[in-house]
Amino acid sequence: MNKLDIFKNGFINENPILVQQVGMCATLAITTSLVNGIGMGVAVTAVLTGSNIVISALRKFIPDEVRIPAFVIIIAAFTTIIDLVMHAYTFELYQALGVFIPLIVVNCIILARAEAFASKNGVLDSTIDGLGMGAGYLLAMILLSSIREILGNGTILGFRILPEAYEPMMMSVQPPGAFILLGLLIGLVNCLSKKKKAKKA
Amino acid sequence: MKNSYVKLGGVLFIIAAIAAGILAWLNDSTKDLIAKNDAMASMDPQVLEAVMPGSVMFNEYEDPALVKSIKSENEKFVNLLTAVDASDNELGYVVRTWSTVAGYDGDMELFIGFSPEGKVTGVSVITSSETEGLGSRTTEPEFTSQFAGKDASAEIVDFEAVSGATKSSNSFLSAVNNAINIYNQYLK
Amino acid sequence: MNLFSLFITSFIVNNIIFSQFLGTCPFLGVSKKIDTAAGMGIAVIFVITLSSIITYIVQKAILVRFGLEYLQTIVFILIIAALVQFVEMFLKKSSPGLYRALGIYLPLITTNCAVLGVAINNFKIGYEFIESIVYAVGTSAGFMLAIVLFAGVRDKVDNADLPESLKGSAISLITAGLMSVAFLGFSGLQL
Repeated sequence: MNKLDIFKNGFINENPILVQQVGMCATLAITTSLVNGIGMGVAVTAVLTGSNIVISALRKFIPDEVRIPAFVIIIAAFTTIIDLVMHAYTFELYQALGVFIPLIVVNCIILARAEAFASKNGVLDSTIDGLGMGAGYLLAMILLSSIREILGNGTILGFRILPEAYEPMMMSVQPPGAFILLGLLIGLVNCLSKKKKAKKA
Repeated sequence: MKNSYVKLGGVLFIIAAIAAGILAWLNDSTKDLIAKNDAMASMDPQVLEAVMPGSVMFNEYEDPALVKSIKSENEKFVNLLTAVDASDNELGYVVRTWSTVAGYDGDMELFIGFSPEGKVTGVSVITSSETEGLGSRTTEPEFTSQFAGKDASAEIVDFEAVSGATKSSNSFLSAVNNAINIYNQYLK
Repeated sequence: MNLFSLFITSFIVNNIIFSQFLGTCPFLGVSKKIDTAAGMGIAVIFVITLSSIITYIVQKAILVRFGLEYLQTIVFILIIAALVQFVEMFLKKSSPGLYRALGIYLPLITTNCAVLGVAINNFKIGYEFIESIVYAVGTSAGFMLAIVLFAGVRDKVDNADLPESLKGSAISLITAGLMSVAFLGFSGLQL
């Protein structure tokens, strides 16, 4: 697999949220505004890439029997690093994302990539895999959070784009909106990928 | 068999130790900023109301260069903020500063609010380690509320010190006056 | 807030799935049949309650005392992983029947973010020891309620005639959204 394929694989073909559908908790919870979505996407990408790099670098040093606890410690360490950095430098975002920052550690996508990719591949490939999966995660977060912010607030990144007369659809930024809109988004992706397949065939 | 357990445990231990070491270093270098952020966040509505009635938030002042230049000239000054109400209207300036005269146990850190008309709108203590029950009374509204409405065109001289805690009271006053000087020098 | 209203709030009003989104992965993955959903639910109640108690003691007795709060995430996740492992071994020896019923769900619980979420929230919100136990029981009971209800609905949905693209997790999410509307109604509850 060449480098571009590795990236594209995570970004589109096996998009963690829209295709693999893992790591949903934070996706549903904090996508109430685009800023939050981007913040969470970047935080997850950072942890994912960082832990992928370290795990692939250490893959010969870590005995097979204890690899899962070792991975968990490494991932938890990166999560804590992000937690501290955000607490210090992007405080508003830190408050908005709340408990979902430490919860990056149990985001299945990260342990899954450690186990399925980083523990078997070299550092460079693992870095690209982390960035690709992270970018795919970020893409899904951006899509969902922009939809929710536009519908629920009439704004994007805080700038009003729908006229004042637009009655915000509160439901969109409330919990039900998260479930329903993500469901529809996944349905749309299914539909598009089916069309693409049909074209190829 | 036993050897391999030692090895497994050893590897995990090394990884955990390195992780903990890095985190300890990072924690150490971010903890001041984090503490400051938390202090800002924990600014309860009571503090906002005491410093600038009607305000919902203190924002960073619009011109960071000015804040920087005040900092370089006045070492006790911490920050300059703009108090806004719920609809984002500016209500006045808030100076965050340490006292220039020490109390019993080091300096006190205060918020001092100024209205556009040049009056002190209110004062609230952020950090103080004055003696519990005596000097600490300088942090209570009975004492701090006397500054609200005072004219800010010159240093305040007349005030009622907490009896038995003159030193703490003077330390408190020095912070207020430091803020008044900053206000007159830079914001008028 | 008294303990009873804390329980009701964490059980229904702030339902862990429908309003806090914690534990959505197993919620969508496991809830295909009512009895497996119930098994998962019971295992989660057990682990969340136990882990809340242990993490609470560790946080207060070790992390806070030695100024190591920044190690919270690492320590908590290791405690939870070890606890799940321990519960599994214990059940295997002492009650094989229960182990057969719950065993397959136990490894999945480590990565259930509800467990770590509750442990961390205990301190973010600042509960006392007893309150944190009530919060843990209420929240995890809420998880079980949600997952069992959802399994019942899903049974019907899977047999429905749907557009091809919406089948699977898309319709599951939309169904969960509609159920979440119902739970939103509880937010008007005066406690």
